Amino acid sequence: MQSRIRHLVLVATVAALAACGKKEPPPPPPAPAPVAVPAPAPVPVGVTLSAVSLGKAVGADKKVSAATEVFAKGDTIHASIDTTGAGSATVVAKWSYTKDGKTAAVKEESATITPTGPATTEFHISKPDGWPTGDYKVEILVNGTSAATKSFKVQ
Amino acid sequence: MSDMPDFSNVQSGSSSTANKVYEVKAGDSLSKIAKHEYGDASKWPQIFEANKDILKDPNKIYPGQKLKIPPLA
Repeated sequence: MQSRIRHLVLVATVAALAACGKKEPPPPPPAPAPVAVPAPAPVPVGVTLSAVSLGKAVGADKKVSAATEVFAKGDTIHASIDTTGAGSATVVAKWSYTKDGKTAAVKEESATITPTGPATTEFHISKPDGWPTGDYKVEILVNGTSAATKSFKVQ
Repeated sequence: MSDMPDFSNVQSGSSSTANKVYEVKAGDSLSKIAKHEYGDASKWPQIFEANKDILKDPNKIYPGQKLKIPPLA
């Protein structure tokens, strides 16, 4: 009986010693604090027109240097079109002349652009023998849809 | 007889800060395209450089090819 007790004491002691030698598993690291990740800026789908301005000259940025809607007979007339978005788009400028309620086509020019972000495209027209005085307009179409119209005068 | 003015001699053009795409027509050459797009035929090497992935010889372009027209440097 005593031998059995001794044996039990020995087993308990060995178990206790073993337990002392065992290291407690490290506590799990605290969860990292949530990092605020800014949402990516939305990428506009397709190319859309944002502004049209007319002038007598454009700079390297294709924007008119001085916006006007009144031109002289010998001027080159520029239309500067700002677009946003990326992709491929066909931009058309339809120039026309109106007199006594009748409209005549002046010129149509098309440009296919592949912007990767905001872009400026300019269209220009000139007439070697000078513009007839009167009322004109330019209609801008983007991918076949009318996006803007600007009226101007030659005087 | 129409009393509307004659606009048949109106000249036009366009340019962009974005790449443009030009579809080659019969009779085109890079210098002719450069003249149309940049107003300067001597700028044709810029178009050739931008299209080296599809053009091996600047004298060989074909109708229907779509060329990148980079903004004038």
